Amino acid sequence: MGGQNRIIVIMLGVLAALVLIIGGLSAALLLGGGDDDGAAEPTAAAGITTDTGGAGSDDGAAGDSGDGGDSGGGAASAAGRLRLPGSDPVTLDPHIAGDSGSAEYIVEVFNGLVTLSPDLSIELDLAESVEISPDGLQYTFTLRDDILFHNGRRVNAEDVRWSIQRAASPELASPTALAYLGDIIGVREHFYGLAETIEGIEVIDDRTVRFTIDEPKPYFLAKLTYPTAFVVDQQQIESNPRGWTRRPIGTGPYRLQEWRIGERIVLRANPRFHFGEPSVREVLYELAGGSTLTRFENGELDIAFISVNDIDRARDPDSDIGPLYQEFSQFTISYLAFNTQVPPFDDVNVRRALGLSIDRKLIAEVTFKNMIAPATGILMPQLPGYTPQDKTFQFDPDEARRLLAESKYGSAEELPPIVITEVGGGAEARIDTQAFIEQWREELGIEVRIQQTDFATFLEDQDSGRLQMFNAGWIMDYPDPEDILDLKFHSESELNDVGYSNAEVDAILDRARTEQDTAARLALYQEAERVIVEDAAWLPLYFSRVHVVVNAAVEGWFEPPMVIPRLRHIIVNR
Amino acid sequence: MAAYIIRRLLWLPVVLFVVSFATFSIARFGPGDPVSVAAGQYRDPEVLERIRAERGLDGSIFEQYGRWLFGDLYPGGSGGGSIRGDFGESFIQRGFTVNELIRKRMLISAQLGLLALVVVFGTGIPLGLLAARFSGTWIDPFVITSLLFLTALPVLVIIPPLLWLFALQLDILPAGGWGGDGFAGIFDVWWIGGVIAVPIPDPHLYMPVFVLSIGGIAGVARLVRITALEVLTEDYVRTARAKGITEAAVALRHVLPNSLLPVVTVIGFALVGILEGAFFTETLLGIPGIGRFSIEAVQSRDYDVILAITVIIATAFLIANLIIEISYTFIDPRVRLGEAVNA
Amino acid sequence: MSSAVIELEPEEAPRARPAGPWRQLWRRLSRKRIAMFGLTVVLVIYLMGITAQWTAPYSYREQDLTRGLEGPSADHFLGTDRLGRDMLSRVMYSARTTVIITVTVIVTGGLVIGPTLGLLSGYRGGWIDGVIGRVGDIFIALPGLPMLILINASLAPRVIEWTGWVEEHSPLAGLVANGVPSYLTVFGALSLFFWVGSMRIIRAQTLQIRERDFVIAAQAMGATTSHVIWRHLLPNVSFLLILGASTALGAVAGSELFLTWFGVGIQPPAPSFGAMIFEAGSVRTFQASPHLLLVPSFFVVSLLFAFALFGDALNDAVRAR
Repeated sequence: MGGQNRIIVIMLGVLAALVLIIGGLSAALLLGGGDDDGAAEPTAAAGITTDTGGAGSDDGAAGDSGDGGDSGGGAASAAGRLRLPGSDPVTLDPHIAGDSGSAEYIVEVFNGLVTLSPDLSIELDLAESVEISPDGLQYTFTLRDDILFHNGRRVNAEDVRWSIQRAASPELASPTALAYLGDIIGVREHFYGLAETIEGIEVIDDRTVRFTIDEPKPYFLAKLTYPTAFVVDQQQIESNPRGWTRRPIGTGPYRLQEWRIGERIVLRANPRFHFGEPSVREVLYELAGGSTLTRFENGELDIAFISVNDIDRARDPDSDIGPLYQEFSQFTISYLAFNTQVPPFDDVNVRRALGLSIDRKLIAEVTFKNMIAPATGILMPQLPGYTPQDKTFQFDPDEARRLLAESKYGSAEELPPIVITEVGGGAEARIDTQAFIEQWREELGIEVRIQQTDFATFLEDQDSGRLQMFNAGWIMDYPDPEDILDLKFHSESELNDVGYSNAEVDAILDRARTEQDTAARLALYQEAERVIVEDAAWLPLYFSRVHVVVNAAVEGWFEPPMVIPRLRHIIVNR
Repeated sequence: MAAYIIRRLLWLPVVLFVVSFATFSIARFGPGDPVSVAAGQYRDPEVLERIRAERGLDGSIFEQYGRWLFGDLYPGGSGGGSIRGDFGESFIQRGFTVNELIRKRMLISAQLGLLALVVVFGTGIPLGLLAARFSGTWIDPFVITSLLFLTALPVLVIIPPLLWLFALQLDILPAGGWGGDGFAGIFDVWWIGGVIAVPIPDPHLYMPVFVLSIGGIAGVARLVRITALEVLTEDYVRTARAKGITEAAVALRHVLPNSLLPVVTVIGFALVGILEGAFFTETLLGIPGIGRFSIEAVQSRDYDVILAITVIIATAFLIANLIIEISYTFIDPRVRLGEAVNA
Repeated sequence: MSSAVIELEPEEAPRARPAGPWRQLWRRLSRKRIAMFGLTVVLVIYLMGITAQWTAPYSYREQDLTRGLEGPSADHFLGTDRLGRDMLSRVMYSARTTVIITVTVIVTGGLVIGPTLGLLSGYRGGWIDGVIGRVGDIFIALPGLPMLILINASLAPRVIEWTGWVEEHSPLAGLVANGVPSYLTVFGALSLFFWVGSMRIIRAQTLQIRERDFVIAAQAMGATTSHVIWRHLLPNVSFLLILGASTALGAVAGSELFLTWFGVGIQPPAPSFGAMIFEAGSVRTFQASPHLLLVPSFFVVSLLFAFALFGDALNDAVRAR
């Protein structure tokens, strides 16, 4: 029987060995490589949660209690605690973040010279005043004297200059630097490594900094509200250039208390914030987990998003969640884009015919239960320049067939093959694309093929102008029509990925860029919008809307149409 | 024997080299790269070129692979190189090293995987023995057929109804996510009458572990059943019975150990199955593990993360395979090394 | 000379009495009601797929937006999906997709590459065995799913370009429009990972058989490698091939779901079970309109279960030989 005992021993050994391999190998491989930052942060496993900043003893104590378990730490401050669904930010470095998911946290932790108020007007933030020279080229900012970084250091003009210079530095290679700061003289040269410093930024004195831009652009201030122009702490970044974003020091209403990747982010109110300490003391973002509504109903979250499956229930005022339901519009448009250089979309009549033969309104109403609004043009509601009248093509199959016959192709049979591309995260095409394709087949007899690619491939093809037709979206980065009309439709814009070129539109957009009178400027953009929609370079489809349920204890909740600082305006009555 | 093990161990780096270079080339060969994914809406081609150069994505594929292997992935980087276990910095989540991004997720997946492995063998073996013991009665086909049915239930099909039932209707399990901080989530305490503390697994674990195990249980049970049936006809079992040893003693001393033998060989298969299942389970249930992370990394072309995961999984798998192969020769001396059925 | 061998080993060489062992196997199998049940279900679903073009009540893409998400009714037996398309028709066309994928993967990978390499590896041994074994190691060590997604993302655009080129330079038309490139990529990639298993099983069996008298006799009489493999080894592993194929069929049918779910699979609007389940795959959707998930799931689970039952019975029958 000794043989069998040996067998059992061996079997147990194998199992144990497997356990050791899976656990030990990963540990050995991973921990072994961590020397470089392991030295900086002795507790490697909890590296993200340890308090690296020397912000003071009170911070350290709070960090320790937070480490012990969130339920324990949270009980003390449950009165001012807000629990939100969230996702991991790509980065908390304001200068390289290009996505709204990251910006949502960044705008609460950092500030720029100017910011956007909840009604989307440009407001002073770190700056106390701004003086614009009569020629519109020089912006002189005077800083407030009560702005402190989270670690207590006062912000001065040099911090502003250093931050902008860092954002545009060649080493950082920020994807957003040129888009937002490129108007400042010398930023391009600095970005391409041709100049050590930025000529257009001068520190006048401790509290005054002057920006000089290349042309009188009325939207320049709006661009400075974007995180790329935010002020960061030079000392922290220079002492820990790669790891500082885990525990960034900013000037914002909240500071990052804890970030456990894939689990949660905790923001803690900044008592020394220059507009006063926010009412909500602690904001907890739950990063993991499934449906937000389920967790909302379980009492785990204060806010949840409503999907098309629950919208009927949410809209019913008599249902349990009905009274908590709110709806907000977004600065996001989805559209079908045609590459106007490629057959058959080099003919405007083909583009118009496709636009006239899809019934967006019916799809919005029946399939999406009106959770999205059919687009009335390119500019969204609340955006400066928006006009409510509908400028888009209405569903008119007869007119569509007439235009198709009038096109240089004459009929559906003569058209070259058409492929529509979209980002496919999963198996099925977007439901609206499927509906459109069927409508084109029914109404015009055109067979359009769907090609789904993953995000990376899609971007590559879009940038190289290889897509014939695609279904995509645009999210406004600052509330100015220039951010969409000029960027996407000017024939010389790098972001014009549809090959659209109309001399008339170019001329209007050029004039609007430097028009100083706001009303006249918006009128120019409205004119450009009308022509572009008429030319059908894009078929505007929908404006997004966001649907949420909000816990009754949360007061003043709003979903802004684009990312702006908002947490300090919220109150929690608990 | 020793020579064979050494030969296989020497072979290991070669396999890893090929695996990593193949993954590297496939990832780089395709269209799209992490720079454009991370750039957001503003993608000025010149700027992107500038960023690529800055982040070490320029040069020939061999240069890039060399940098990946021996360090200096990016200027100012740690210069460790993958060969020393430093897998560089994530392209997408800037400021985080690949190692630390993977470490915690791996911990979570490893807990799930090992628990599932325990459940697979812990229920598969008894069920297999049960079926063998009651061979010829209705119990045998009943057990085997119901297990087969469980195998036929794809993860994607059962998770929504399970969530609906347990999280929405009965409200006794969470709707996904991961409970604790890496490790801490395993145990919760359940008080009976306020006196007796019973440690119970975190409720977040039940559904993923169940879903991950059901595929493997049937396989293990069937294997155990077949071998147990074979053992029951062997001479030494008949002899034992003839000597009047009780049925229970026979089962315990002869049937059980001998029918467990082949189970060792399927541990590797079970692990692969669990790993594959983890991709879906973690994605569907919102668990921040390595399966979900690797899918995200592939979709955003986070090259260094993809490579690190591939290399780690391949290493673990190759070593596990080797150990199983070696242990098999211990167990069954008839098998010559190198001709063993590769489990 | 092969006749002499057959005289020696009538059991081992089915060619002498063409239907002998096969008929025996069939007899054993047909006695198992459960196997017959599984086989019937498989055949019914496959038949449904093959004839979908003629028997489906609607086209898989015909939509009626105003009648979305309806439950079963007289004109839509299994209800409609979000766009008002007939679920029954979409299921039937999905079955067609499954038929195409399974058959192709089995023919390209499961039945050709794997067994060929296995036979070669087991019979010749030496460095050929070493190379094939180690290449197998590499493939089995790669994490399959992320690699498939990666390979698909990298290669699919190129395969589409290539198919487009073939289309332009040959009388074949409509290849791209019918989704041929996506089929090519999917089962190409699948075959890449499916061959290792069957290779190893066949190799192990070959190792045993090559020591048998009739093989040694053939070798002694100067038979070439290909002759020995073709005439002596292949007939003896053919049962294993059938067994492997039936297991792999289920596995491939199942992996279509997963691949499609991650966007690797069939390009829309061609329907597949994976795509249908994907569309219905969230709890909230399940709560609101359960038939979206239940209808395709019923057919998929039936198919996979039937494959499992049949495979199990076949396994018993083959081993009892």
